[in-house]
Amino acid sequence: MEAPGADKYHYGMRRAPFLLFLLPVLQGTPAGDDGQWTMPGRNYAATRFSGLTQITPANVSKLRAVWSFSTGVLGGHEGQPLVVGNTMYVVTPFPNVLYAFDLTREGYPLKWKYRPDVNPTSVGIACCDAINRGAVYADGKIVYNLLDGHTVAVDAQTGREVWKTQIADMGQGETTPMAPFIVRDRVFVGPSGGEFGIYGWLKALDLATGKVVWTAHNMGPDSLMLVRPGTLSSANLGVSTWSGDSWRRGGAPVWGWISYDPQLDLIYFGTGNPGPYNTEQRPGENKWTNSVLARRPGDGSLVWAYQFTPHDSWDFDSNAEMILADLVVGGQLRTVLVHFDKNGFAYTLDRATGDVLVAEPFAHVTWAKSINRATGLPVVDTSKTTGVSRGNVQGICPSLEGGKSPASPSAYSPRTGLFYTATNNLCMSFEAAPVTRIPGTPYIGATTPYTAGPGGHMGAFIAWDAARGRKVWEIKEKFPVWSGSVVTAGDVVFYGTLDGWFKAANARTGRELWKAKVASGVVGAPISFRGADGKQYIAVYAGIGGDWFLLSGDVRSDDPADVRPPADFAPDLARHTSQGGIVWIFGL
Amino acid sequence: MLVACDRTSGGGLPASVRYPAHVAAGGSQPPAGEIKNPLASDSTTVADGSKIFTTMNCDGCHGGGATGWVGPSLVDGRWRYGGTDGALFQSIYYGRPKGMPAYGGILSAGAIWKMVSYIRAQPVPVTVPTESWQ
Repeated sequence: MEAPGADKYHYGMRRAPFLLFLLPVLQGTPAGDDGQWTMPGRNYAATRFSGLTQITPANVSKLRAVWSFSTGVLGGHEGQPLVVGNTMYVVTPFPNVLYAFDLTREGYPLKWKYRPDVNPTSVGIACCDAINRGAVYADGKIVYNLLDGHTVAVDAQTGREVWKTQIADMGQGETTPMAPFIVRDRVFVGPSGGEFGIYGWLKALDLATGKVVWTAHNMGPDSLMLVRPGTLSSANLGVSTWSGDSWRRGGAPVWGWISYDPQLDLIYFGTGNPGPYNTEQRPGENKWTNSVLARRPGDGSLVWAYQFTPHDSWDFDSNAEMILADLVVGGQLRTVLVHFDKNGFAYTLDRATGDVLVAEPFAHVTWAKSINRATGLPVVDTSKTTGVSRGNVQGICPSLEGGKSPASPSAYSPRTGLFYTATNNLCMSFEAAPVTRIPGTPYIGATTPYTAGPGGHMGAFIAWDAARGRKVWEIKEKFPVWSGSVVTAGDVVFYGTLDGWFKAANARTGRELWKAKVASGVVGAPISFRGADGKQYIAVYAGIGGDWFLLSGDVRSDDPADVRPPADFAPDLARHTSQGGIVWIFGL
Repeated sequence: MLVACDRTSGGGLPASVRYPAHVAAGGSQPPAGEIKNPLASDSTTVADGSKIFTTMNCDGCHGGGATGWVGPSLVDGRWRYGGTDGALFQSIYYGRPKGMPAYGGILSAGAIWKMVSYIRAQPVPVTVPTESWQ
């Protein structure tokens, strides 16, 4: 059945003939783990699952720091290092330094350091602190984005710049902190700028030369969205679900993560919020903001799309990762995509069609009662709908920080069958205001103060059963949890906290097993790798930032002219942390 | 020349406009003019400036009431580039590093002066440089 909320492509779909045989290829098996970490989510399926087994619940309490390195940079250290062979690569936030550490030598000295010339204007065009979500490796190159709208490829051996391509326009409010993704000879990149009225897109660059191969917009006419005739239920949904030409400044940034199914030959990525926040300036469903899009990597053509939050009233971006797994849902083995949305629902979709199989709240949700699986549409509590004429709407949960931040990628263990994710327990009020788009300036139109959600704890780290749509265990945290996570074949899961703890828990029970204070709040995503000595290590960035530069109070102390008062809902976070990037490696 | 060069390093200036002056090589200050806001800082001008501040999306970076967001507070009495009439005019007209857009191409000098009047009219809190959790 074709649902209003999900448009599908029904012909020419390639299904895996030997799905069970191919599962280990997609998900990464313990036996085949090479100990490297070459792309943001560890593998195409973005599971952030490490097949390494030396660190276990029985010995993790002996984990200790074996190395640390100050990046010399403040700003939010989101994302993750890469490990390629015996070299670890670290990208910093602006000014986007790239470090290459030699893991074969004592003290892991630098092989080289790449210092791009980045326009400092980008720091203020980025909505919410200067952050970077990491690099990707392929074909001898480290590829990553500079904040000022450029993608660079750097020779992984020598540190020499191979190419540099302008992909985004800061004059339109576009910046580029996301981690690129590579399939075959294509590099995929997208912009931030949902708070600047951008016209959102995904671009594919040629890996060898950096030249733009195709650009696919996330709304607008089918010709600009690369929608082939007959693909979706109606033509030009990217125009007809908007009023007038509001789609031209409608946002839909691409600042999250990308995954890929080699059997279906589809890339998956989420789009961000529509602009402006004031809903009354953009009547309609506003497709394809707050959506997952499935595109062909070769030519960019759209195969299907599903919108999580039509006509977004709450800044519920859908840029969070799309983790690919194969789960038994309702008694049948299904090839699925699992997504924890800012709107507080966790979705399990059929990744060939976009059909909603499971959609249940993983956080406290008041804006909708449920998701109608037949239509794919949320059952909205209209008393929570916002807009200028609605005044100051109270009691909206989650807040616009999301039930989970897309900046905090989840992990999936095929051993436990569970997904592991940071969550936030915040609510908000929302008072919209009219706003005019002036290119290069913010295009927001709302005031949205937060409060802690039920229970008073502002975050938790949870394990989620995506086949049934239920929480399996939970570790409550005082502050929102904003880190990514990694789960290992030793059945240990790692995450960090905003007040500067890095923690390990039993992946099956949720029992906290170990923690270390890591000098700054953690908004990065841990990885696990095999060192040159054959031992398993865990690496993670400390370095609070991103939204938590704006919300934590005075955590950035490098400017005597900028002293911040504490956020009223988290007045003592700055008691525990300040900004400052440090790379940590832990081992037994 | 639009630049207003503060010749003092705090002394003699009110807290709302104080910022560290440059050191003058050889102790000799370069000749420079001081630009003054030609508008009277009456309530109408300040109210107009407040409206322009919102309409130009300044609050998107500097926060509602200019209390700070991704851009710094404009009402805490601390300045990167100075809080005098001329320094504020220059910041708005030409922009500043780290993302402050140049508004001189779309706003008249009169509109910018109204914003300067609005910013200068905001009360500045007494500076308490210590934050204590005890």
